Amino acid sequence: MKKKLLSVVLCTAMLVPTLAGCGGGGTDAPAETPAAEEAPATEEAPAATEAETPTAAEEAPAAADGEAVTLTVLAGQSTTDAGIEEMIDEALAKAYPNITLEWECVDWGNDFQPKMQQYMQSGLPDIMIGKAQDVATYAPQGILGEIDAAYLDRGLDAARQNVTIDGKTYGLVYNALYQGVYYNKDMFEENGWSVPKTQDDLQKIIDDCKAKGITPFASHMVDTWSIGNVTMQFAMNDVFNNDPTWGDKFRAGEVSFANDEMMKTAYQYNKLIYDNTYPETFSTEQTDCDAKMVMGEAAMKVSGSWSIQNFLDIDESFNFGIFPFPNQTGDSKLIFEPNITIMTSAESEHQDAINCVLDVLTSDKELAVEIYDYTKTAPMLKDVTPTFANPSQADIDEYASSNMIVDVTLGNNQLVWGGFQEENAKDIAAWLQGDISFEDCLAASDARVDSSSAN
Amino acid sequence: MQKTKKQSMEKKLEKQYFVMVLPGFIIFTIGLIIPLLLAVRYSVTSWDGMSKIKEFVGLQNYINLWKDADFRSAWWFTIKFTIGNTIIQNVLALLFALALDSGIKAQKLYRTAFFVPCLISSIIVGFVWLKMFSNVLPEFNELLGTNINFLLFGSGETVLSGLLIANNWQWIGYWMLIYLAGLQSVPADLYEAAKVDGAGPISRFFNITIPMLAPAITICVVGITTGSLKVYDLLVASTKGGPGRASTSVIYQTYTTAINGRQYGYGSAMSVTLVLALLLVAVIQVKGLKSKEVQA
Amino acid sequence: MIIKREKNKEPMSAQPYTKATFITQIIMTVVAVLFVAPILIIINYSFKTKKELYLTSPLSLPSSFQTENYRKAFDKLDLSHTFVNTFFYTLVSVLILALLCGMTAWAIARCKAKFFKFCFIYFIVGILIPFQALFLPIYIIGYKMNLTNTRYGIIFMYVATGISFGVFLMNSFMTTVPIELEEAARIDGCSVFRTYFSVVMPLLKPALATLVIMQAFQIWNDYLLASLYVSKKNLKTLTVAIQSLFSAQSSDYTTAMAAIVISVLPIAVLFMSLQKYFIKGMTVGAVKG
Repeated sequence: MKKKLLSVVLCTAMLVPTLAGCGGGGTDAPAETPAAEEAPATEEAPAATEAETPTAAEEAPAAADGEAVTLTVLAGQSTTDAGIEEMIDEALAKAYPNITLEWECVDWGNDFQPKMQQYMQSGLPDIMIGKAQDVATYAPQGILGEIDAAYLDRGLDAARQNVTIDGKTYGLVYNALYQGVYYNKDMFEENGWSVPKTQDDLQKIIDDCKAKGITPFASHMVDTWSIGNVTMQFAMNDVFNNDPTWGDKFRAGEVSFANDEMMKTAYQYNKLIYDNTYPETFSTEQTDCDAKMVMGEAAMKVSGSWSIQNFLDIDESFNFGIFPFPNQTGDSKLIFEPNITIMTSAESEHQDAINCVLDVLTSDKELAVEIYDYTKTAPMLKDVTPTFANPSQADIDEYASSNMIVDVTLGNNQLVWGGFQEENAKDIAAWLQGDISFEDCLAASDARVDSSSAN
Repeated sequence: MQKTKKQSMEKKLEKQYFVMVLPGFIIFTIGLIIPLLLAVRYSVTSWDGMSKIKEFVGLQNYINLWKDADFRSAWWFTIKFTIGNTIIQNVLALLFALALDSGIKAQKLYRTAFFVPCLISSIIVGFVWLKMFSNVLPEFNELLGTNINFLLFGSGETVLSGLLIANNWQWIGYWMLIYLAGLQSVPADLYEAAKVDGAGPISRFFNITIPMLAPAITICVVGITTGSLKVYDLLVASTKGGPGRASTSVIYQTYTTAINGRQYGYGSAMSVTLVLALLLVAVIQVKGLKSKEVQA
Repeated sequence: MIIKREKNKEPMSAQPYTKATFITQIIMTVVAVLFVAPILIIINYSFKTKKELYLTSPLSLPSSFQTENYRKAFDKLDLSHTFVNTFFYTLVSVLILALLCGMTAWAIARCKAKFFKFCFIYFIVGILIPFQALFLPIYIIGYKMNLTNTRYGIIFMYVATGISFGVFLMNSFMTTVPIELEEAARIDGCSVFRTYFSVVMPLLKPALATLVIMQAFQIWNDYLLASLYVSKKNLKTLTVAIQSLFSAQSSDYTTAMAAIVISVLPIAVLFMSLQKYFIKGMTVGAVKG
């Protein structure tokens, strides 16, 4: 009896804030549809913007005409993203005050997949924010909603390809992280090193580093994910650039890790890093590693944009650049990884309200710049340029303009991260430490073939 | 007449007792037993944890477990971790308790010092020791000019000792308190009598202290063993099961297989195996330790 | 069977302070310092700036005691929610556990019908179930019963996972309750419930204290159930919030360290101020267990 009473009390306690939340939403119809207002300002792609304005304008009133809506959002974030939810809330409150977002922010690496598994039992949240590779995992389950072309058109086309399945696009890519070798520009200049294009070039720099007592590579192998990450970077340029369907062939039994020279080479680069990094890499975390890099103890670091925040935190004047890790053929491309990717639930009752949110995200440029500056990431929206100082931006622009960039989602769709790349990385760690042989390491990856695809 | 009245009275009482047990029974069944049964059910399917289809595969998952080298190594790590913990934690906790009970001054202060670590959640303990091993302790090498390898989480050979240090740091104080409580309830006249009989301190320890501590030992041994077999939180923020798979525990392996690897059925088979193993260990331990208690 | 030593007196009065005691004292002092050292290092870190963390030795003191990290930690942990939530879940769960476990254990001990014998074993099995390995079924059940992302849901789960140990613990105390008192109450016409609440429960107070203390620990520090059942921002617990501060790509260790201090401080203060009761509670547990 007491329990019952208690649960009643608890229920009431829980209801109060919910009710209060509902009452707060005003019926202020957004007189200014952001898309319409921003359109004239855009000069680069006026055609596209104009074409989409009607669509967006048509949808806006549906959700704007009054009733308060609360949308649930599951956000799988990296720590660099944590905090953007408040920015989005603020922008949304201005444009559509009747829509409230109920955020659930989790760590993408550890908790996004478990949460999705949970919600696939109970019903998905209205909006999910993950990474581009999540689309390949969840779209085939038939649970993701198609994203309206009106919003997709405001983003870069390059981002669209790998979140599209059978002609339908299920993800809106918001920003990107660049991955490659971050290098200390000042150090390169002082020593007269130029950006290496081939493995031989790289080897020369490594040799010179060693002669001068500089550690060639900073690394933090205590984080197994970083091993998995760099391995995919190597594989992108040495395997997938030549053979974009390597994973499919692997599953068909045509190629294998043990027999494919390209893949073996990609794995072997880990050894190159391990032999040319400081000995305590298996005890060094990312922040310590980034600090060593900034303090000039190491010349290069195979990493991604997530290090920029660290670099600049430790020394705001640290001068660094980025180049793709050289492959055997000397034609490596700089890797970008679509990061924040917005997906929607196919079964949501609030499709209109979801579209309003997508509208704000794709059309509010102030918000976009704020988010890019905060996360120190590259935009995937058209005509938005972040204002934070990124010393590596010049390099990025150069590769981008000569079309030497490639989307890593291709590789991540061919060989899935969770259960495959992640597990392989553990074997690579064991191999580097001398616990298992290289052959065993390759064989272990081969044995995992059934887990190599999300479906 | 009298008898039937008594019987009906008993029936009535039984009903009332039943009502008292019922709420706990229901909550426990829903919260723990039904999930366990569900896990048993999933363990005979090839469910990926996502799709609607749960294909029946019989005992295939259990057969695969036998051949799974990663699962075996996870067990091997868990067993080593458990044995290490059970021995070190019991011995040190008891020694600490004896030392604190030996009449030293400011006993409270020591008690607090040893106890505070177990107020910290295991997740944080893992993180703290990661920092200790990789940043703080190596600093002593520089200060003292020594060359001790403090990077215990950095290699497969030393990661176990590193985790044992972290785990013992956290829990010794807790078990010490239990031993301390047990020690303080040993009647002083028993020792006096033994002294009169000419028993030395060592013989007093083995003939009086240990037998009198038997209930406390049972609690501690069972508690430490079952706790260590379930180790998971400690690994999340420290080694993440690495380097390689050197510190992957059974639960950690279960979690990565079922969730990250999207093999929920297979992962469930792992959990069921673990439950059975835990049951077995507990039954053996309780039986063994209880029989010792009786002898004493 | 066991006569308790008079505990009001400090034990040292009973034993002489010899040379051996002195050596023990020194050894234990060294050990205690080693035990406390990591905590001091956390506190030291929590006052450093990010730059200091990298550029100075971990053992050096911060150049100035700036409280910026604490301010940030307060913000990031969303303490007004997480702290209150954790406190609320812990408090309500242990109270319900105390109520249920006492009742259940007593009924099992007193009623000789077969069902109750079965009950005992049934509950004991629960101690051995690693609920960590059952999280998806636990979630599925929770979802089907509308327990997820609710306050009563997480409390329900804490009760469900804590009850087996509680019944086991309370059961071992039942022999200390004199049956004559209960019978007297019954003859006076008390129902089973009245007998329990007015006669038995007061006698069980020390045991209940043990139970409350042991469970409060578990629940306060729980990570897995909390991350599974309550993930909405306004329902999160402290441990879950802290965990997100040192996830994969985080960098803000100084803030994380401040957060640790914030999370541990209240419970440490609680422990130190209630140490007497605490030890007493544990004592009963150890002696009767």
